[in-house]
Amino acid sequence: MEKKYKSSYFAHVLKLAVILVVAGGLGIFARGIFLPETMGQYGHYRGSDIQDQRDVAIRNQTNDACFECHRPIRLIHKAGVHKTVSCEVCHGPYADHVKDGKVIGKLPVKRGMEIKELCLRCHNKVIKARPETVIKVVAMPQHLEEKKVQITHNCNQCHMVHDPLLWVRAAYEMAGVPMKEEKK
Amino acid sequence: MEDMKQLQEEIHRDRRGFLKKVLAGTIGGSLLMVYSASGREIAEQIPGMREEDTVFTKKNFIFIVDITRCIGCGSCCIADKNEYNVPDGNYRTWVERYIIDDHDEVFVDSPNGGLDGYTKPRTDIPYPVRDTFFVPKLCNMCEKPSCTQVCPVGATYKSEDGFVLIDEKRCVGCGYCIQACPYSVRFLHPVTKTASKCTWCYHRVRDGLLPACVSVCPVQARKFGDLNDKTSEVYKIMREPHIISVLKPGMGNEPQLHYLGLRREVV
Repeated sequence: MEKKYKSSYFAHVLKLAVILVVAGGLGIFARGIFLPETMGQYGHYRGSDIQDQRDVAIRNQTNDACFECHRPIRLIHKAGVHKTVSCEVCHGPYADHVKDGKVIGKLPVKRGMEIKELCLRCHNKVIKARPETVIKVVAMPQHLEEKKVQITHNCNQCHMVHDPLLWVRAAYEMAGVPMKEEKK
Repeated sequence: MEDMKQLQEEIHRDRRGFLKKVLAGTIGGSLLMVYSASGREIAEQIPGMREEDTVFTKKNFIFIVDITRCIGCGSCCIADKNEYNVPDGNYRTWVERYIIDDHDEVFVDSPNGGLDGYTKPRTDIPYPVRDTFFVPKLCNMCEKPSCTQVCPVGATYKSEDGFVLIDEKRCVGCGYCIQACPYSVRFLHPVTKTASKCTWCYHRVRDGLLPACVSVCPVQARKFGDLNDKTSEVYKIMREPHIISVLKPGMGNEPQLHYLGLRREVV
């Protein structure tokens, strides 16, 4: 009677220990199953995610990438004051046009009054927040009146969009008038 | 007559075949030329990136936004949307317009995150404008990010090279990090249902290209570079006496995104 009592006295401690060990074991087992292999490799995150992040597809390329093929426009664009303007901002991302060295789609070319909209994104004087030391801003339609053209004129009737001063400079040259240096 | 016709047809077919062959040759040849042209590597914008073979880059990248140069054209927003196909209404980067009147009241707006550019002036400013400027916003890549601390599943983290990234496969979309970010750069991606934010174009940077927004900025208002490289522009800016500050310095997040010419009104 005495013996039985003693054994059951330890039994519940033993039971508890067994339960704890089993639960712990199950926990470790579950952790092994549910946690990704590289978890904790470099820190508290999935180490292989660094590679996943690097594998994100590059969709925008550089202007140089466009100039690889688009030779004629390259000469104009690179020589003009718009050389810092990205091709892809107006025409769309490289990845929609070229894939693995093959042309897969046509990129849009802005036409008509869309061009004016594009120009005024940067050059609109009514937006006062633009630092005028950085960009030449024009007021519309005062600019057209000042230049004595019809106010229905589109920007690209005087300004070649890839080099806005190309035709203007040529016109001045033809007329034999020196072009006044305009502030940037 | 019949024979003649047959012969003519024969020639005709032959001619067509010949033309086909010539055409095929020409097209094939030109395609090959295009191939070889595109096979050439496009020059890297960050020198020395493509030679790196370590898991993390040894470079110490920082981002500088020059408020005094930003013209608010929204090119960066377009490039960013194109690069990641960001769903409408969510912005990884955006441009805010600040208007401060001479009663020191501050007006901020950002129509469609600046994606469509700024077309209209604000007409609801009661007093004369004292100061107005654009502030581009993006991930601050904090030295001590508060977003990574709150993630319950270890999905967002700061990598050894200083980039705060989100593991899309682990993120459960609980949104804790979105609330924790003092700069509100995170959003819940409506398609993947995971948290998403600007990564400073980690994939581009590791491939030697500048972040998309930096690459397209027409006025170099966004600058990105290696602080370890003593010849880099960002190093020079950080070393020379400029008005450099970060957003919400009191939060203690120590952003690696610095602003040049930032006004104290900007939050």
